[in-house]
Amino acid sequence: MMARRRWALLVTALALGSGGAQAQAPWRSITIDERLAARTSLAVGDTAVLAAAAGAPGDTVLIAGITRRTADPSEIARSEYRVRLHLDHLQALTGAGDRVGRFAVQTRDVPGAVDSAAARINALAFGFRAYPAAEVAVETSATFRVVNRFHRAIGVITIVASAIFLLCITLLKVDERRRDVGALRLLGVSRTTIVRAVVLEASLIAVIGSAMGAALGYGAGWIVNWHYQGVYSTPLKFAIVTPGIVLFATALSLGLGVIAGLLAAQRLVRRAPLDLVGR
Amino acid sequence: MLMRLAIATLWRRRARTALTTAGVAVAAAMLLDMVMLGSGMRESFRGFLEQQDYHLRMTPRGTMPFDSEATIGGATALLARVASDPDVAGVAPVLGGKLFVPRGDSVVSGFALGIAPGIQADYVIAEGREIAAPNETVWNGALLEAAGRRVGDTVRVSAGYDPQLRRFTGARELVIVGRGRFVMLSGGELAGALMLETLQAMGGADRGDRISVALVRVRDGASADSVAARLERSEPQMSAISTEAALRFVDERLGYFRQLAFILASVSLAVGFLLVTTLVTVSVNERIGEIAVLRAIGVARWRIVAQVMVEGVALSTVGAVMGLGLGLVTAKWLNGILASFPGLPAAFDFFLFEPAAAYKALGLLVLCGILAGVWPAWRASTLPIAKTLREEAVA
Repeated sequence: MMARRRWALLVTALALGSGGAQAQAPWRSITIDERLAARTSLAVGDTAVLAAAAGAPGDTVLIAGITRRTADPSEIARSEYRVRLHLDHLQALTGAGDRVGRFAVQTRDVPGAVDSAAARINALAFGFRAYPAAEVAVETSATFRVVNRFHRAIGVITIVASAIFLLCITLLKVDERRRDVGALRLLGVSRTTIVRAVVLEASLIAVIGSAMGAALGYGAGWIVNWHYQGVYSTPLKFAIVTPGIVLFATALSLGLGVIAGLLAAQRLVRRAPLDLVGR
Repeated sequence: MLMRLAIATLWRRRARTALTTAGVAVAAAMLLDMVMLGSGMRESFRGFLEQQDYHLRMTPRGTMPFDSEATIGGATALLARVASDPDVAGVAPVLGGKLFVPRGDSVVSGFALGIAPGIQADYVIAEGREIAAPNETVWNGALLEAAGRRVGDTVRVSAGYDPQLRRFTGARELVIVGRGRFVMLSGGELAGALMLETLQAMGGADRGDRISVALVRVRDGASADSVAARLERSEPQMSAISTEAALRFVDERLGYFRQLAFILASVSLAVGFLLVTTLVTVSVNERIGEIAVLRAIGVARWRIVAQVMVEGVALSTVGAVMGLGLGLVTAKWLNGILASFPGLPAAFDFFLFEPAAAYKALGLLVLCGILAGVWPAWRASTLPIAKTLREEAVA
């Protein structure tokens, strides 16, 4: 026999009513989110008492399901527990009468139907306003757009730092081998060949570094997703390394490598071969 | 002498010294920014809460202040019970609501705060005066601008809209007596304050004797957390949130930025360390012959070590000082980006410059510079003198 525990749940403003068939007597059914289930040790088949205010008499309900959050960015920072119950049940429980918080309207699959339907509803109806889903999505993702801009700014600083680092390393490597280069020049190797060799080497370093960076990025992305999906109990992906990002990073790195190689090589080939070998 | 030798060595390779210093400066700037970000949000929010000079916020059970439209009934009796607690020095009630202001053919809507004027902590008067009568109101600049009104105007405002009758409800004529700066509201948010009793009356039966939040001032020497626990036990329909609990909540919600700050600060330190190590190592490799000669003529091993380490310290110190200026500029830029976060108070700072924390971080970078010189310095001082001189002569 299924264990039945009784818990008093406070229905807050975040309890969601939804349409649908009524549950069989004796209890109405509800679903709770998995965070609430974990917090209260409630499981499917348990009963709980739902009340509109602490200490108020409530209804005994059956936990019919446990829900998981969808991958919705606007849900990330919200820490409330979610209880879903039948619309009429929530209306009765909270004394809301024949009232709803919002409607979801499905339009026909015709171009422009959403905007024209929203415009017609707003022209006809008073007391509420229709918003296209895309508009709502833009509004609710405002936080993430700010975070995105912040990440881009951090990216710019990182690129500046990487460029300096790469140029510095290239310069050091080239300086370290100035005697070798001087010897090559004395043997008759042309300036152009030296410059090409240095640029090629810097480019190779940049490409190998990019490949390692991409691998590191995949690994770090996996850790970030694993960590934050656990922290926020969401299937949302926080870090994605796409082929486009890898290509962009490689191209940028290659460009920086070529510039760093050219600058370093130019410094080297401007000096006389005998000076390079220290004579 | 040591310093002069180190500077001369660095000066000999000006381009690479300049590049390394620039690299360290960028790393230092990033480190400083991340330290400012790591503590800035928390301290900025603490500043907001302490600016209100109330230690507890009592809200409908399970909610944060104005997180939902939930209100508490029986406010008069509740406030009297809370005020009777021996450790409570004062209670300020606040009711949240809506304010509809006609402008031409359209209506401007804003956030209404019902407050007790003498003890309110939600705004400071920037122009005009505080509310003194039930028909007076204080608006923020955004609402004044949106409604096309000025301090001194008389306006007809409403607190609700009845969709059945298609008319605004709870209309009142109010005189705008002041312009306030609402400390906890975001920059573009339209808001006005009026007496609590006025807003309750405008809201009709739904708002009568109800409040959204009660701010509680705790007596000196009493623990806010223990008063909160006691009030939660005596008022089970309420949550009592102390400043520390609110900060924990902010930490939880904005934890991502702290973690990002920690990771990027660590990466910045590592980059600075690697740059200085690389430069000093290469510099030592280039001067192996010189160092062997110095050792051969009797220069002590510790002097060689010290000279090499001074190079690392000089690079990281100059880089850190440059990074301080650069970091403050980039922090302002990054703060400007994050300031557009929806719902945050306008004066909220993500990046807060705290001299002690900043200097500690930059000191850590200089320490990294010292550590970066340890290996190459040790290597330089332990070179076999005769063998190195012979190899250098052959080369």
